[in-house]
Amino acid sequence: MNLRPDPRELAAPDDGIAKGAMLLEVKNVSLSFGGVKAITNISFDILKGEIRAIIGPNGAGKTSMLNVINGFYTPQQGTIVFRGEERRAMKPHHAVRQGIARTFQNVALFKGMSTLDNIMAGRSVKMKRGLGWQMLWHGPALAEEIEHREKVEEIIDFLEIQHIRRTPVGKLPYGLQKRVELGRALAMEPSLLLLDEPMAGMNLEEKEDMSRFIIDVNQQRGTTIALIEHDMGVVMDLSDRVVVLDYGKKIADGVPDAVKANKQVIDAYLGVAH
Amino acid sequence: MLYRTAGQFKTSYHADHALFPVRQDAILLGFILLLAFVVFPLTASEFTFRAMLIPVLIYALAALGLNILTGYAGQLSLGTGAFMGVGAYACYKLTSIFPELNIVLAIALSGFFSAAVGVAFGLPSLRIKGFYLAIATLAAQFFLVWLFEKWAWLYNYSASGAIQVPNIDMFGVTVAGPNATAIVQYYFVLCVVCLVTWFAINITRGRIGRIWKSVRDMDIAAELVGINLMKAKLSAFAVSSYIVGISGALFVFLWRGAAEPVLFDIPLSFRVLFIAIIGGLGSILGNYLGAILIVALPVVISALPSALGIPIASATVEHLNTMIVGALIIVFLIVEPHGLARFWAIIREKLIMWPFPH
Repeated sequence: MNLRPDPRELAAPDDGIAKGAMLLEVKNVSLSFGGVKAITNISFDILKGEIRAIIGPNGAGKTSMLNVINGFYTPQQGTIVFRGEERRAMKPHHAVRQGIARTFQNVALFKGMSTLDNIMAGRSVKMKRGLGWQMLWHGPALAEEIEHREKVEEIIDFLEIQHIRRTPVGKLPYGLQKRVELGRALAMEPSLLLLDEPMAGMNLEEKEDMSRFIIDVNQQRGTTIALIEHDMGVVMDLSDRVVVLDYGKKIADGVPDAVKANKQVIDAYLGVAH
Repeated sequence: MLYRTAGQFKTSYHADHALFPVRQDAILLGFILLLAFVVFPLTASEFTFRAMLIPVLIYALAALGLNILTGYAGQLSLGTGAFMGVGAYACYKLTSIFPELNIVLAIALSGFFSAAVGVAFGLPSLRIKGFYLAIATLAAQFFLVWLFEKWAWLYNYSASGAIQVPNIDMFGVTVAGPNATAIVQYYFVLCVVCLVTWFAINITRGRIGRIWKSVRDMDIAAELVGINLMKAKLSAFAVSSYIVGISGALFVFLWRGAAEPVLFDIPLSFRVLFIAIIGGLGSILGNYLGAILIVALPVVISALPSALGIPIASATVEHLNTMIVGALIIVFLIVEPHGLARFWAIIREKLIMWPFPH
């Protein structure tokens, strides 16, 4: 008997954007820290329902790009259009409310809390009961807690982490921590999920598991994914379209095969003889 | 054997979210409550009430307040003593301006004053963290104690500069002031402490508790899961200072009977902080264990020689006392740096597994 829930039940919230239409557009964004130019005049778009990879050598500005998208950095120039709304500056917790969730290159979990609590924390924004109800616990606060617990258990089942539900995440091996972090991001029911090197430091088996989760999330829940990854095999297999950055500039943008054949991309990765 | 959890299945999330998913914990708590509500009142002397039971409860409550801020929300504070003072002076002014006000209400209201002051002094936490924040709260400590001395309105312009608790009746029974009996005051404090503890448990295991713990464990990640850091930190300061304020009001009204500003000076802050740290940061139970170790144990040790008929000079007993308690604190912190609550958690884990090692 297969008890795994159908991930389609966990569909991403309907944001009124048709599949294949523009979900997010980065318009001429430039970001610098003092004299260091992290991103120079980059534009690209992310379509609803696709897996969009952002690749490039170390220091190309990939993570900075994600930080701009979810409001952690404010670009000096350019704007971001998300779900038809144009903006330059925004607080990260507003980005979450708008439906942008992310994971981190270095796992950023709440180490003292259990797996369950970590994923539940991802739903904090969706829970509404205030201090008064929380104090009493029984009644509305408990009902709300259980309602969200059910959603979280679906995610735990989906990611196959039932056995570590009560374990403090600080004690978990790295591969599982990455999985819990993905779970926490999924708990926010984002319409755009930003994954910053979800497979860094994983072995082949863990990478295969993670790839499967990413594809399932994308195909069955319809969540749009923007992904930074260094494993080219994974990137080329998973993504629908790839944007390549180098030294803060966009050097290529297109389907995986076109990007693979692009002269500039090969030069950026392999170096050029001068 | 006594702590066997096998066979206790949860079949609903409702059961899984119960306060005590393990039946034995509930039985143990029932036993402790029976001791506290029935056995102690029947057996304890006036001295035991005044020197041990009441202060342990009040200090544990203050530590609980601090623990919410430091242990749960990760904001270090050295101003606990002063926030207790705010609660005490607020209660004193409330009862002297409105003598008809019910004492329970006066104490509950005085918590709001310390909560407001706590939020005001918690504002720096939005910019600074860790030891730097501790120094900022130290400013609150010095400023407020200075204010208690200089602002004569606070102590009704009394010549001594101290506040004296008048006799206060509730439903025909004197609960505070010189005429109050120890057993009534004990029950009063016990009920308040139990109620506030229950509220604190509920808050810390729900949404707000998770938000605080997220901020403690990694504030940047907390912000990126949509938590508003300003609200989270300030709400921790508010709830923490509220509880600390209530404990301050109880401290003066139900235990000391009188207070002068110096009582709320930094040694009190440190004492409460020690209780919270030795008991275990991020734990509710720890506050009680810590308070028993730091407040009650010295009293027991100093009473022991005379009770056993051992002829030791009282000054020697005092020295021994300091040495024994000091040594115990060091031993406990070496054996289990996360505090007595963690110590108990490990013992409990072993009991559940017993007789197997794993």
